[in-house]
Amino acid sequence: MLVLNNISKIYNPGSEDQVTALHKVSLEVKTGEFLVVVGTNGSGKSTLLNLILGTQFPTQGTISINGKNIGHLPEYKRSPWVSMVFQNPSNGTAPELTILENFRLAALRTGKKGLGIGIGQAFRMSVAEKIATLGMGLENKLDQLMGSLSGGQRQALTLLMGVMDKTSLLLMDEPTAALDPKSAQVVMQLAQKINREMGITVILITHSMKDALQYGDRLLMFDSGNIVKDLNKDAKALLALPQILEWFA
Amino acid sequence: MIQFYLTALQMALCLGPMAMGIFITMKVFNIPDITTDGSYTLGAAITAILLVQQVPVAVALPASMLAGALAGTCTGIIHTKLKIDALLSGILVMTALYSVNLVVMGRSNIPLIGTDSIFIKSDWLGNELNGQLMTAFIVAGLVAGLLVYLLRTDFGIAMRASGNNPVMTKALGVNNDSIRIIGLAMSNALTALSGFLVTQYQGFTDINMGIGIVITGLGSVLVADALRQWFKIKKITHQLLLVVLGCMVFQAVLAFTLSIGIDPNLLKLVTALFVLLIVALPRITAVANPKK
Repeated sequence: MLVLNNISKIYNPGSEDQVTALHKVSLEVKTGEFLVVVGTNGSGKSTLLNLILGTQFPTQGTISINGKNIGHLPEYKRSPWVSMVFQNPSNGTAPELTILENFRLAALRTGKKGLGIGIGQAFRMSVAEKIATLGMGLENKLDQLMGSLSGGQRQALTLLMGVMDKTSLLLMDEPTAALDPKSAQVVMQLAQKINREMGITVILITHSMKDALQYGDRLLMFDSGNIVKDLNKDAKALLALPQILEWFA
Repeated sequence: MIQFYLTALQMALCLGPMAMGIFITMKVFNIPDITTDGSYTLGAAITAILLVQQVPVAVALPASMLAGALAGTCTGIIHTKLKIDALLSGILVMTALYSVNLVVMGRSNIPLIGTDSIFIKSDWLGNELNGQLMTAFIVAGLVAGLLVYLLRTDFGIAMRASGNNPVMTKALGVNNDSIRIIGLAMSNALTALSGFLVTQYQGFTDINMGIGIVITGLGSVLVADALRQWFKIKKITHQLLLVVLGCMVFQAVLAFTLSIGIDPNLLKLVTALFVLLIVALPRITAVANPKK
């Protein structure tokens, strides 16, 4: 379970440029939950993800996963619990490494990056098997450089890489914003599959209200650094697109 | 004349480890490190001072590499922990190393006469030059082999990914700062190894021997890069081997300029112009053929 307790984030405190991105936010996300977060630009939703990921630290409050306080840990030390799919497909993969090498590093997210050669036939087969489930034909291109793939292909692979090693929480920051509709659908369906079949908690930030309604079993809306709506699965099921658009009016 | 070019080849092999070190910082980590000028002389200074005191080569070799690694570690710590630009960090350490090297040497020049040498032991092939070439070839080959292996390991993959996309590697549990410090230490240990080889090859250590040496390493990497583009080589391990070839091409060009009678005082100018040419050539070609 992810617990955020009384979290505030203030940028440039004490200066003329002081901005309160999050204001005493408390939130509990149950294990296996698929939480969708919406809100206007600057409402604090990306800050929330950055605080959980560890790229930023809260000004106040605590963050814990499964009882372990992680709020003070640097990003690379949170990898045993948290994995991330970035908005920009380029951020989630290393373009000058092959697909297989990218997956090797992802498989070692919580492990030691030692002086042995870990890419063998068995590893190659297991990666090919996982990639084949995407139906993109990439399982035969494992030695191709990641940079030669399209944004949609890279984003789908990033999502698979996120669950190559054990993880409790998958963060997705507008993962389909840069993708064409077909690629976006592949990525979202994969996220849903990972959530349902592997029981991994997912937090998705999206500007697509269609996705917000279609995916997930809880919906949060942020405004001016506060949670202003928190709908469970049943309440969310009753929502229609015009209603959700009204929230932004 | 052949002897002249063989000497250039020998020098290229001696400088090969440094060029491979620069490849690691420049191409793997995307760090412009110019600690090189200082750590090269540091390796040579440690070697000279130990050999003069009749310390065996087998001890001087790890000692000089360790000193180079320490210099690289300093640059790495200044860059990653104090968040100072990599270029400036390198300049600071390089400048400090000038004084350190003078202190280590005790004077500005140390001749190596009657001392132990990695090359003297190699006259088993009968011809001294052949023996020296073979020694340098074995050392450069060993270094290249080890680096090729390293780049294929899990650690090597993390190193390359860290240089290629640090945002991703942080999210994948890689401590980018630590891995950068290790990379800089490794690179400067290799540079010091070149200092170790060259000082024994030329028979003396001079406080100024490292001035501008980074350009030689940089030039070798750039020649390798040009070859990589021409031959469309993608594998990182092959690119590393091209760096040794680039080093040979670079030294051959310098030898050629000397052989046609260019004043040796102009050698650094020729070196700089050659590097400029390599860097500018793709851009000039692109301007000349905009449709390509």
